[in-house]
Amino acid sequence: MSDTVLKVKNLSKNYQMGEVTVKALEDVTFEVEKGEFIVILGPSGSGKSTLLNIVGGMDNPSDGEVYFNNELITKMKDKELTYYRRNKIGFVFQFYNLMATLTARENVELAAELCENAADIDEVMESVGLGDRADHFPSQMSGGEQQRVAIARAVAKNPQILLCDEPTGALDFETGIQILKVLKDVNEKFGNTVMVITHNASIADMADKIIKMRSGKIADIIINENPISPERIEW
Amino acid sequence: MKKLDLRLFRMIKNTKGQYIAVLSIIITGIFVFTAVNNSAVNLKDSINDYYDATNFADIFIQGSNMPESLENQLIGSNGIKEAEARLVFDTKFLTGNDDDNVNVRVVSVHQYENKINKLFMKNGKRILTGRDIIVIEKFAEARSIKLGDEIKLRINGREHKFNVSGIATSAEYIYIMENEQSLLPAPEKFGVVYVEESYLQKINGNKGGFNDIVIKLNTPDNTDRTAKYLEDKLDKYSARVIKRADQLSNNVMNQEISGLEMMSQSIPFIFLLFAGVMLSVMLSRIVKKDRISIGVLKAMGFTNDEIVMHYLKYAGSVGLIGGTAGSIIGTALSGMMTNLYLMFFSIPMLVVQVYYRKIIISIILSFVFCVLAGFWGVKDILRINPAEAMKPESPKKGKRIFIEKIKIIWNHVSFSWKLVLRNIFREKKKFVFIGAAVAITCGMMIMTMWMTDIMDLMFNRHYGEFINVQYNISFNEFKSENTMKEFSKLINVKEMEQRVEMPFEIKNGKDSKIVSVIGLNDSTKFYAFRDINNNALELPQDGILLSSNLATELNVDVGDEVILKSLVKDDDHSYVYVKGIVNQALGINGYTNIDFLRGKFLDKGIINGVYINSDDNVTDKLKDIKDITVLSQFDMKDAFSEFTAMTAAAMGTMVIFSGLLGFIITYSMTLMSINERALEFSSLRVMGFTKKEIFNMLIRENMIMSVIGIIFGIPIGLWLVHYMGVSFTTDLYTMKEPVTISGIATSIALTIVFITLAQLMTYAKIHRLDFMQALKNRVS
Repeated sequence: MSDTVLKVKNLSKNYQMGEVTVKALEDVTFEVEKGEFIVILGPSGSGKSTLLNIVGGMDNPSDGEVYFNNELITKMKDKELTYYRRNKIGFVFQFYNLMATLTARENVELAAELCENAADIDEVMESVGLGDRADHFPSQMSGGEQQRVAIARAVAKNPQILLCDEPTGALDFETGIQILKVLKDVNEKFGNTVMVITHNASIADMADKIIKMRSGKIADIIINENPISPERIEW
Repeated sequence: MKKLDLRLFRMIKNTKGQYIAVLSIIITGIFVFTAVNNSAVNLKDSINDYYDATNFADIFIQGSNMPESLENQLIGSNGIKEAEARLVFDTKFLTGNDDDNVNVRVVSVHQYENKINKLFMKNGKRILTGRDIIVIEKFAEARSIKLGDEIKLRINGREHKFNVSGIATSAEYIYIMENEQSLLPAPEKFGVVYVEESYLQKINGNKGGFNDIVIKLNTPDNTDRTAKYLEDKLDKYSARVIKRADQLSNNVMNQEISGLEMMSQSIPFIFLLFAGVMLSVMLSRIVKKDRISIGVLKAMGFTNDEIVMHYLKYAGSVGLIGGTAGSIIGTALSGMMTNLYLMFFSIPMLVVQVYYRKIIISIILSFVFCVLAGFWGVKDILRINPAEAMKPESPKKGKRIFIEKIKIIWNHVSFSWKLVLRNIFREKKKFVFIGAAVAITCGMMIMTMWMTDIMDLMFNRHYGEFINVQYNISFNEFKSENTMKEFSKLINVKEMEQRVEMPFEIKNGKDSKIVSVIGLNDSTKFYAFRDINNNALELPQDGILLSSNLATELNVDVGDEVILKSLVKDDDHSYVYVKGIVNQALGINGYTNIDFLRGKFLDKGIINGVYINSDDNVTDKLKDIKDITVLSQFDMKDAFSEFTAMTAAAMGTMVIFSGLLGFIITYSMTLMSINERALEFSSLRVMGFTKKEIFNMLIRENMIMSVIGIIFGIPIGLWLVHYMGVSFTTDLYTMKEPVTISGIATSIALTIVFITLAQLMTYAKIHRLDFMQALKNRVS
């Protein structure tokens, strides 16, 4: 873990709500190394989703810079950002957001068709534990299974960073743990950098690095020398 | 198949009701366009080929006592390439049944072949000798005349027998009408026969004199100039020069083609416009519903272009399938439609072609049109921010609708009606669209009902109210008024009036028109003149009354002075005042007092026709009188009844097309509502609403818009009627009859039937909707 994959420098994001300016992010700075498992921890409204969106190339900051492999993404044009998302980033959302009319496998293939060096679909499906559910439609699957498909979909593109927005937020404890385990396995097996945002402090224990946020600012950055396995997490 | 395309395919499968709905409107639009336009082109090409093959004349001259030497005198002058003199007259066809009043036009032809207006032989031989006769095909078919049959004609007061040696068609008589007032062909009552020239001259008593010349020009561009030259040159023969454009059969054909072209340029575009709006609304709704999916696709790295293209393929597929199916069906139907024309028109060289270029153009146009309409619907994709799209959409700003401010009304509205009213005001665009579809449906129904009524109205108005004549007797030459006394002896007359009918050129400045002017008794009981405001008009002692289409053509109004130039007497003309404009449905005429007309142009006491109302069979009673033609109103009514039956089928098709539009749009928009509002309906179900109550709510929403649509549909219908009336008004018809109340009522009833059917079909969808599933569904 020596290469810096992501550099966030003095990042700020302001929203105008009527006459009031809301500071969603204020002077946020941190770095992420290749292959790290990062947890961004903070309560609702602390700016963690905004941070994830900017890092993922889905939103623009008001100020500051984000470098991905030393490439400045905050100055990229819309089309360049799209290709950045296509080739470098994998998203996992709280509510899975699968294509309802595609089966689990087809949802994953949809993502794989986007990039040239896509991962092996069967391998990805197996790794998330969905080998036997591949031909089911989202409506025929549980929340946990749907989230596995969402992870497989993100991983299939072979992204350098997996950005996960509250991936366990809509799941029960046990399913949540299983999902975290899948993410950890993916992190270890495929070597992807994984960035999980959550308000659940217990999840932080499995991270290599914890970035605590409060009111749009970084409250603390903790390097966890002894991350625990997801199975040992409790909440 | 790419996974995004697979998604599209399943999206189409899941919304097949709406997809088929919009597809059927596109198919209807394209097939009406292809069928009607191809028919017009087929008809035009067929006629042009026929005209070329038979060397159809450019100019027709009707006169009297024109010597054959005129042919050579005319050839070479003023662009005249060929000229042929003929003998043409109408006479009685003797059937052996005195009740059967049948007339034929006898035309003289060369023994072997004519240079101009060659006959197109269908059967038998063209060579004519002595009593050989060639009969025009439609007449032969209608009267079961076959080769070798013997037919009898009354010529020059004597019965003559002829042997049918040929059956033919002629470019001059594609549409066989006795005269401008006939309205419809009656092939069993009027036909054309061809007799060898010298034999006809001999039996008719003509010695070298001809009454008709046909002219072929080097180039038709000079028609106007040559026609003017011929009018001047042949003035002494009382010549009436008719250009090809004004020739009765050709004129009718051209009007038919123009009507088809106009139809192909209007009705299909109404359908395409609605299909376009519907497609745009549908796609914008799908995009709105797919907001999160679009956000996810963007987050995954799909470009805007790729996502827009994904949804445009939906629109493109509608255009491609609709265009292809529509043009194939249209091409097949155009063949049937063109063949249908054979019932009215006699075109032996009818060309029914498949226009591949048009098919391709139709498909491309339909594709481009749908893609453009689709783009209008999906353009919001470009504005969707992926980060924002992931968040649940904030609920629409709830604001009060204006009726809510009227507390006295609002407080008395039930909860379900409040929902209905709020929905209408919050989904204005959708409901305006439904209203517009209902309005167009109702408008088109009114137009269809009017067209169904108009022929009947025109005929009855003209022959029942305007002219109340049972028997119209025309003399081949002027006779003394005393002839009426002879008739009185033969017939038990209820009413009889003398008349003078002469061709005149009526001029107003640069505008001029050759028409028949009819001189009548000032207290005529056979005509009931009314002006365009339906006020009664008296026949003036002096001056002239003009039919409304003639007044429009000459650009004259009451009080203007026009020149009446006689075509019977050389250089005889007179200035007369226009004393009234007559509302006349059929034909184009001028009317004067008989004494005024005789005073200006003729001798006292002479007439060339009489009108008779009698319970006797006048045709039979006057059968032995020489040189007269009897036209019975009963025969015309029979012909009209046959025509009415045929038009009923065409109008039925129009009703279905019109209803289809309202049906499909109401059905698909309601279906869309049900899909989009599944969550709302589920909440209502949880609250205790029954499926029927929810369905009633949807019905009420559409009912309000349907009522508004129908209200707006009435003026749209009236406008369409006005537009059609103006477009179709020609020398032959003046379509100014108003829409009847019963026509409007029928249109409204039919509109309601189609809308109700659409509503009932959506009930199945409401019944099948899984409300509980909708409540817990969170996948996009």
